Amino acid sequence: MIAGWGPRSLARHPLRTALSLAGIAVASAMLLDMVMLSGGLERSFADLMLTRGFQIRVTPAGTLPFDAEATIAGAGTLRAALRGDPRIAAAGAVLGASVFARRGDSVVTLFAYGVEPDAQGIYEVETGHDLAPGDTAGLLLSDPAAAVLHAAAGDRVTLAARLDPGTAGAGGERTFTVRGTVRWLYDYRGQRSIGLPLRTLQAMTGRAAEDRVSLLMVKVRNGADPDAVARSFRGRFPRVAANSVTDLVAAFRVRMLYFRQLAGILGTVSLLVTVLLVTTLLTITVNERLGEIVTLRAIGVSRAHVVRQVMAEGLALTLLGAALGTALGLATARYLDTILTSFPGLPAAFSFFVPRPDAIALAAAALLVTGTLAGLYPAWRAAGAPIAATLRAEAT
Amino acid sequence: MSVAVAAEVTRDYSMSGGVVHALRGVSLAIEPGEYVAIAGPSGSGKSTLLQLLGGIDLPTSGHVEILGTRLDSLGDRALTRLRLLRLGFIFQRFHLLPVLTALENVELPMAEAGVPRDERRERARSLLDYVGLLDRAAHRPVQLSGGEMQRVAIARALANRPALILADEPTGELDAATGAGILALFRRLTADGSTLVVVTHDERLAAEAGRVVHMLDGRVRG
Amino acid sequence: MLLALLIAAQLPRVAVERRLAAELTLRVGDTVALAATAESRETRAVVGAVFEPPPDPAAVLRREYRVRLHLSDLAQLLGTPDRVDRFGVTLRPGVSPDTAARRLNALAFGFRAYPSTAIAAESSRTFLVVSRFHRAIAVISIVASAVFLLCIMLLKVEERRADAAVMRFVGVRRRTIFGALLLEAALVALAGSVLGTGIALGAGALTNLYYQRLFETRLVFSLITPSIVAFSVALSLALGLVAGALAAARLTRTRPMVLWGRG
Repeated sequence: MIAGWGPRSLARHPLRTALSLAGIAVASAMLLDMVMLSGGLERSFADLMLTRGFQIRVTPAGTLPFDAEATIAGAGTLRAALRGDPRIAAAGAVLGASVFARRGDSVVTLFAYGVEPDAQGIYEVETGHDLAPGDTAGLLLSDPAAAVLHAAAGDRVTLAARLDPGTAGAGGERTFTVRGTVRWLYDYRGQRSIGLPLRTLQAMTGRAAEDRVSLLMVKVRNGADPDAVARSFRGRFPRVAANSVTDLVAAFRVRMLYFRQLAGILGTVSLLVTVLLVTTLLTITVNERLGEIVTLRAIGVSRAHVVRQVMAEGLALTLLGAALGTALGLATARYLDTILTSFPGLPAAFSFFVPRPDAIALAAAALLVTGTLAGLYPAWRAAGAPIAATLRAEAT
Repeated sequence: MSVAVAAEVTRDYSMSGGVVHALRGVSLAIEPGEYVAIAGPSGSGKSTLLQLLGGIDLPTSGHVEILGTRLDSLGDRALTRLRLLRLGFIFQRFHLLPVLTALENVELPMAEAGVPRDERRERARSLLDYVGLLDRAAHRPVQLSGGEMQRVAIARALANRPALILADEPTGELDAATGAGILALFRRLTADGSTLVVVTHDERLAAEAGRVVHMLDGRVRG
Repeated sequence: MLLALLIAAQLPRVAVERRLAAELTLRVGDTVALAATAESRETRAVVGAVFEPPPDPAAVLRREYRVRLHLSDLAQLLGTPDRVDRFGVTLRPGVSPDTAARRLNALAFGFRAYPSTAIAAESSRTFLVVSRFHRAIAVISIVASAVFLLCIMLLKVEERRADAAVMRFVGVRRRTIFGALLLEAALVALAGSVLGTGIALGAGALTNLYYQRLFETRLVFSLITPSIVAFSVALSLALGLVAGALAAARLTRTRPMVLWGRG
């Protein structure tokens, strides 16, 4: 392939090409990681929110789901209003509260979700059965809760809603039968969570009279716009916050501003490093080969041909570096993800670095554009070198 | 019609120490089939004259014609095309592309001219055969001797059947025995009807020429 | 007027943080309505003070505003008389917090005692994660810079091929050429690290300016200490010298005619 003399020139100086490739590989690995970080956060959050297809969260005004201990009173009325809306397919309430269990002579604190199994978006059954309709004594456990309670499906567990330090006694004690173990979608790693029927938890924690819940989750019918439904619901019930996943992602974006900006800055630095490396390498190799290049011009090779070859050399270097960088980037992303997902309180299912094809394609496209642009200056120098003067200088 | 004409050409260079007059009004006509040697001491302007005849430099005044076309009337693209199709260059330091094989180096000008792959490959092989290097077709320049590299460069110069071959000190980097081989090749080129202008210090090369143009201080002497 | 003053004097006092006071245009003496939740009964209170909370990195991204009330007023507002989140306990001199916490926990039912150091460690876990992340990113950056520096130095020294050839032709010793190339590499690395420090200081100042304005805080986001500068300069000098030495050794081992391009 005669036209490939530019890229083939990379083999003339293996050490310098290898070093440049290593530099580009590390820079493109960093770029890939940063592209994954900037887009992955939001994607991961949105995917997590939509795991079971519930697109709207209704929470106490001014809060986000489980952001505060505040609750909504009159959940039944809200649920009825929601279910009466023809655009809504399902609406279920969730209450979050701390409960206690005895284990030997010590007390274990557990996080209890009061759920409505027919319309729930926060867990998936792993072993045993879900709570049946009308079941008031059933209990669901997360693996960590099952481990700390030494309980499995069919076992009985006694829970208390309150502990009174004055009398050293427990209040609101009830005994439940474990129906199964579940994966709570929004639990952090190791969280000891349990699930009870909503009405039971409300009754245990004194929230039945006012029918208090922490949030309602809403699924809209196919074709309905969740954002418009959330908007109209906010208009009807100004004392609660109705947020679509789009709204929640926007709020999340503000909180994760630091990571997005860090990703933007480091990604830009990576691209700059790539440009500098490719431009420097090509400029020096072009200078070294100026005699050859002007000879080609002298024998009738066009400027455009020379430009194409030098740019192809830059592109080949970038492509090779990027291919190595992709493997390196995916490995480092996994390592960085294990660091960041150890944030306390973060849902275990959340990822900071999501290796999506579109992220890889975006990083590759950015690198290709960068590699091409980086070749412009040396290509321009090579094609524009004065033939006669260069040949004279070469002859001396 | 003359293959090349230089009419009262001058060429000045601006250097840090002032203006250098490399050519001071040179006129020359090269006729088809001629073998012309341009001889003279270093700095006499012979290489500059060759560069002007080859359209890789333009005169400060006067003009150059190739096959009746004034080079100063052509833009860079047309001039490049003319060099590709009408002229063949041979340089003192060969300047082959080290990443290409001997065959690919010869093919390169034909590829640039748009000659179909099979046709150019066949012609490149016959040109390498012509210069006696067919068995070295797959070798890269680094695997060839100086004389072999210059033969490949000559084959490359012949690739697009040029009307005029210009050679700048073609034996300058070669020992006497190897230079003699190149000399024989030039003799054969002339016998086959090529028009050849050679800038040289090599008296044997000059002696072979049909006409010798002697230059001194930017002028044709005598 | 007098009646209004008398009523105001009996209302609970609330201290509001400066950002909230600015947003709601509150001043000391203004009356505000407070409620535990959006739908619960409102209680009126008088702004007794405006305060600036200490800079807290944990709160910087949470756009929450803070108000302070007397404990009894807050308990009444929340409808939870005689309930508290936590007690702060000061120990007598000489008593170990760990021992005290252990003894309290042995007696405890419905609460748990922690030494302040354990709470500090727990609440700084987020920042430990962030600093581990930063360290990992820094390692990747250092690797990238090292490779970059090696590459540039190699190219820089290789540019000197012809000069090295000429020096060898005129009889300059390999060692002298090696020394000259090494000196040049050191100077380039030094100049680069001085320039890099300047860029880092400038970028750090801009970062602080931007985030301090964005979050309305006095927190320092980018801190470039003399030890960081010393580490960076030392690292780039060391890398520059190693790279320069490797490249110079390669060059001085090559035959002069090859350097000159006629080998």
